[in-house]
Amino acid sequence: MKDVLHLMSMYTKTTAKAWFQYRVDAVLKSLAVFLREATGIIVIWFTLMKFDNINGWNIYEMVFLFSLLFLTYGIMIIFFTGLRDFGNTVRSGSFDRFILRPRGLLFQIIFVNSDWFAALGHGGLGITLFLISAWKVGINWSLTNALYYIFTIAGGVLIQGAVFLTLATLNIFMLQTNSLKELLYWNMRKFAGYPISIFNKAIQIFMIYVMPFAFVNYFPAQFLLRKSDMSYSEIYMYLTPIVGTVMYLAAYLFWRFGIRFYKSSGN
Amino acid sequence: MINFENVSCRVLKSISLNIPKGETVGLIGKSGAGKTTLIKLAGGLLAPESGRIFTLGKDPVENRNLYREKISVFIAGTPLLCRDDTVSQGFEIIRSVYGISKSDFAKRYEALSARLSFSKYGSEPVKNLSLGERMRAEIGAALIYEPELLILDEPNIGLDENAKFVLGQLLSERRGAGMTTLLSSHDMASVPKICSRIALLDKGELVFYGSTESLRSRYTPTNTMSLKIEGRLPDLEDLPLEKYSINGSAISLSYNSNHVTAAEILRTVLRQTAVSKVSIKKPDLEDLISKLRGSKNEFY
Repeated sequence: MKDVLHLMSMYTKTTAKAWFQYRVDAVLKSLAVFLREATGIIVIWFTLMKFDNINGWNIYEMVFLFSLLFLTYGIMIIFFTGLRDFGNTVRSGSFDRFILRPRGLLFQIIFVNSDWFAALGHGGLGITLFLISAWKVGINWSLTNALYYIFTIAGGVLIQGAVFLTLATLNIFMLQTNSLKELLYWNMRKFAGYPISIFNKAIQIFMIYVMPFAFVNYFPAQFLLRKSDMSYSEIYMYLTPIVGTVMYLAAYLFWRFGIRFYKSSGN
Repeated sequence: MINFENVSCRVLKSISLNIPKGETVGLIGKSGAGKTTLIKLAGGLLAPESGRIFTLGKDPVENRNLYREKISVFIAGTPLLCRDDTVSQGFEIIRSVYGISKSDFAKRYEALSARLSFSKYGSEPVKNLSLGERMRAEIGAALIYEPELLILDEPNIGLDENAKFVLGQLLSERRGAGMTTLLSSHDMASVPKICSRIALLDKGELVFYGSTESLRSRYTPTNTMSLKIEGRLPDLEDLPLEKYSINGSAISLSYNSNHVTAAEILRTVLRQTAVSKVSIKKPDLEDLISKLRGSKNEFY
């Protein structure tokens, strides 16, 4: 155990060193991610100055909805950069190095690389949005609600981690899943910034049962905000940590299955 | 240590090969002959399409993570040290991954880095090193946790003569301690010197597998020499040549380098006449392969 911790700290130290080798550059890159993502929010802000609300959600409630999305992604990417970039890892042959070492593959993938720019950009934006909205949307930050919030964040991280892990596993079979990721993850994430009640039924079903972003932000926000557009059973509001755990376990089993089919790429 | 039973995969066609403990086997062949494929199969990075492989008695793909600290695999495309890490950081990660005590590791590092002379750039990031510098550090990284089985893919690339010599020394010392080595190369000149056995691959087939001496004795090295003579033609009858032909002032001759050296031939010629141009052609891997292929059945 002790040497596992030591190894983790070694990996973290070297990745942080590599990412922050050029300090000004690191700050600017994090800022660039922050601003890129913030632009989308600003557009909504201006829209809501005209329309007042979207399906009953005012600007602060919308910002709170967004904050969950960014915060979970920011935390997730600290751990799952290696899975996000898994296609490259396989193609460049670095994955062979992991295989040749006597440590768990997932352990190595998770700790060998962290995209700190994305983490700071997304996470920073998430925290900013949270601070802007958290005390203006009428949430009573009791211990229960705070605990609920923490479990929800953890669940949201696991849900997105599971998606990345599944896509990474598909990489083993197809060697290239970037467009699938673009289609499934990034496009659906654009929808996820809005309350799913504004979309038609097909998209809602997709966002609950296929690419369950609804559990990352919509249902948790409903628990805390109790908006009138909620047309699903109340039970959905409590499922985020369970959905996250189950999805992650399933993705992990799929990974264990897929890894047996891994073939080193030629050179 | 490594056992191939009728293995086919990509270019490789039903390879059977047994590498006993303590041997240093040189895998030789032209590019595309299947060297890296064979190495990857032995290291468990590839599964065979048919046939069976045992590395240290187990299927290397099924048991990928179970005995990794006993095997060291270095493949040129898969460096052991990360590009962004400094050399000593990379080694520290290896120490940590393989759970070696700090004091042991420091001793080994000192010895290896001095002999492979990479101690002076220990604090340089790997990406700033030249090819030769990087290869020396990589070889050190492959050896430092003292594996039972060492598999090296093209370790000679980028190494100067001195580093090749040190590599040979290190391998023979470790061989004395019981390490088995499989290394691939297209370098016909230096590999047989450091190997106890040679496996020769051509177009996915194993055309020769046996001791280095048996390769040498089976294969009589015939060199050819071309001379341009100034003045009268020399008498070559006393030399043990295989054949020679004279065409105007040009002489071309072939000889067995075990029986007569180029220097002896030249001395004889120069005693009699003047020479304006000399060129010597030694047989290369291609000649060896075609020779072995021609009489392939003898070796099985």
